[in-house]
Amino acid sequence: MRLAIYFVVAAVALFGWRFLRDVTTKRDTSNRPPPWRDVRVLAVGIQVVAVGILFLLGSWLWDNFNTRTDDIGLDPFDFAFLDQPSGISIADSDLNPNSPISSALRNGVKNTFLTIVVGIPLSVLFGTLIGISRLSENWLLSKIATGYVEFFRNIPPLLIIVFTWSVFLTGFPPERESWEIGDLFIFNNKRFAGPSIASQENFVAYRWLMLAALALAAVVWVVRTRLFDRTGTPHRRVLWSLGTFVGIGVIGYVALGQPFRFSTPDIVERVYEGGVKMQMPYAAGVFALTLYTASHIAEIVRGSILSVDRGQVEAGNALALSGFQRYRFVVLPQAFRVAFPPLINQFLNFTKNTSLFVAIGFAEITSISINLFGQSRPAPQILFIVMGIYLTFSLVLSTIGNLINGRLAIAGR
Amino acid sequence: MSSTPMLRRILAMLFAFALVGSACSSGDDTSEATDSDGNTVTTADDGNGDDGDTDNGDGEETIELVQGDGVLAAVQARGTLKCGGNDTLPGFGIIDADGEFSGFDIDFCRVLAAAVLGDSEAFEILPLTAAQRFPTLQSGEIDVLIRNTTWTASRDGSEQATFLHPTFYDGQGFMVRSDSGIASLDDAQNTTICVLQGTTTLLNMNAVLGDRGISFTPLEFDSNDTLQPAFVAEQCEVWTSDASQLAAFAATLDIDVTVLPDIISKEPLGPVVADGDSQWAQIVDWATMATIQAEEFGINSGNVDSFLTSEDSGILRFLGQPVEDGDGNSAVADVGLGLPADFAYNIISQVGNYAEIFEANLTPLGLERGPNALWTEGGIMYVPPFR
Repeated sequence: MRLAIYFVVAAVALFGWRFLRDVTTKRDTSNRPPPWRDVRVLAVGIQVVAVGILFLLGSWLWDNFNTRTDDIGLDPFDFAFLDQPSGISIADSDLNPNSPISSALRNGVKNTFLTIVVGIPLSVLFGTLIGISRLSENWLLSKIATGYVEFFRNIPPLLIIVFTWSVFLTGFPPERESWEIGDLFIFNNKRFAGPSIASQENFVAYRWLMLAALALAAVVWVVRTRLFDRTGTPHRRVLWSLGTFVGIGVIGYVALGQPFRFSTPDIVERVYEGGVKMQMPYAAGVFALTLYTASHIAEIVRGSILSVDRGQVEAGNALALSGFQRYRFVVLPQAFRVAFPPLINQFLNFTKNTSLFVAIGFAEITSISINLFGQSRPAPQILFIVMGIYLTFSLVLSTIGNLINGRLAIAGR
Repeated sequence: MSSTPMLRRILAMLFAFALVGSACSSGDDTSEATDSDGNTVTTADDGNGDDGDTDNGDGEETIELVQGDGVLAAVQARGTLKCGGNDTLPGFGIIDADGEFSGFDIDFCRVLAAAVLGDSEAFEILPLTAAQRFPTLQSGEIDVLIRNTTWTASRDGSEQATFLHPTFYDGQGFMVRSDSGIASLDDAQNTTICVLQGTTTLLNMNAVLGDRGISFTPLEFDSNDTLQPAFVAEQCEVWTSDASQLAAFAATLDIDVTVLPDIISKEPLGPVVADGDSQWAQIVDWATMATIQAEEFGINSGNVDSFLTSEDSGILRFLGQPVEDGDGNSAVADVGLGLPADFAYNIISQVGNYAEIFEANLTPLGLERGPNALWTEGGIMYVPPFR
């Protein structure tokens, strides 16, 4: 209530000051409308009332919460429980039941991060293709793309996720009858596995070498671009950079005496050895959410392409650019600038929608928090933390997005 | 000439202040009431409103004043009982073919409604997942939680919950497909185990399998509706839950399953209420225990009326009938719980005794009484005397 008092004091001060000002300056107020019809008074008055109502609503909710937590003796600001053993375990993680709750939450954050770091680029790629297809002159392609967008955009994501999961569940065989593709890939309804790189001797040194190679490739890229800008010589920067990177890689591989080997997955006594593996719920969830988000992104891409002036396309045609070149060099750079702000929204939606994976048994942060408050851990604090985590994800994503958007915006308009 | 508009202006300002002021002062009142929570003025106000409905005995006057805003008064004022329940567990709490809730736990909600309101149908079920149940109870959204919930020290301690007399003594078991080649828990090395989120089952699984050095992959679902197809499609080889639940599901599955011999925990399931209202806790406790006492007396829904004229004064007291004392004065004894004197009669006549509830819901699933038999018959169902 102290805030309410400040609030009243501020309102009194504001009105008092205005009153004094009008009196002392002896302004002629005779031809001004009466206060209840004076736009300036009304504007301030309405805002004061609106803030007051908002404040009262908030304090009522907070009182409600506090009354209840007091009744049952819960201190909603006690975070000491974070150091206690979590009692849970997480698939494909070395977390054990005795690890503290804080590390269980960290594992959840990691799993959520893994879904968005794969899912968002896939959604953008797929959504862009669909968006372009919708504008294609090929009748079939554009109708298929339209159907796709209308189908997925109008179904709640939870249904898509559970449906995809059940298709994966019944479509892929059980583990003992796994599909194997030439020793390289294994598919079953528990996990998908593929080949990976396994470290041998000198692998650490080789990793540093490859990092250096990456940096060098970047330098080559910049040098070739500058050369092109200065002289007009074709830059062929992709070829040059890739060449540098692969060249160093091959030389390093030989010089360091084969620091890595390819590792193929295998299932021995239900244990997955070698390769990389992912859980089926992860794959199903990311796949489903990518399908869903892509339908939204497709619409954004289509709209932004249509916003590019038709004259630009005609100019591209006049220059005899191919269809790909026209999109790559003329239309998409301009469309992307329009598309980017709403795209950031879709990234945030993707992040928040990953919480639905709880329904299909993937241990992301929401799932872990639900598990924790099933284990006699205080729900208010855990919810605060989880809200904080999603907020952080969203703020980081939108900060990155805004930075990029700022750069794009400066370049034009 | 300028004086009139100026006056109006000042008046308008005063009006605006009055608006803000009144808004703020009403806010002040709210917080005042909260700060002085439990002071006599507040409780006395509430208590007066309830006196008419609830007060029967003399000694309760003070109790009513202190706990006038308790759950009992709220339930009686509302006219229905709100139970947290399960809607996906055959036998215990499920929505049947008619769209109605039915099951063992649901019947105990009926028992409580019959005891408190005299009408076994005056209840609502709020279906909850395992993870939702305690926050919902904490928030006061439900009056009682009867949802196959295991009584543990940490739940009593840190969930702000009060556990009452168990209605079912269970233990955690493991179920596998009969053709899986897993004959005991030790064969379950490196399996994937399906379990429901936010349950003691999950904690026990982690603790016991960790102790025995059995590594496994947990696969956690928030509902049996998704867990069951995952088990059937062999996304997990093992399904762990309370043995009674496994038996219930085994009866409904199309595949051959085996429940492993390992029972790894004690799972006493019973009704739960929120901390802070001991009168309500006692009511729920005694209403639950009345079903067991009735079985012990041999009273069931069919023969309860014949017991109203029983020679046994214990039975008469239990059913809320007048008992004659040595001087020939007969009076209805009030045990002072805040329940109507004939609450046990209402329970038995409208819902039935413990044996009837068990046989109606759990016997069809192939569950034996086992430890849930009366203490006189080799089980551990034993209740304090009703006097």
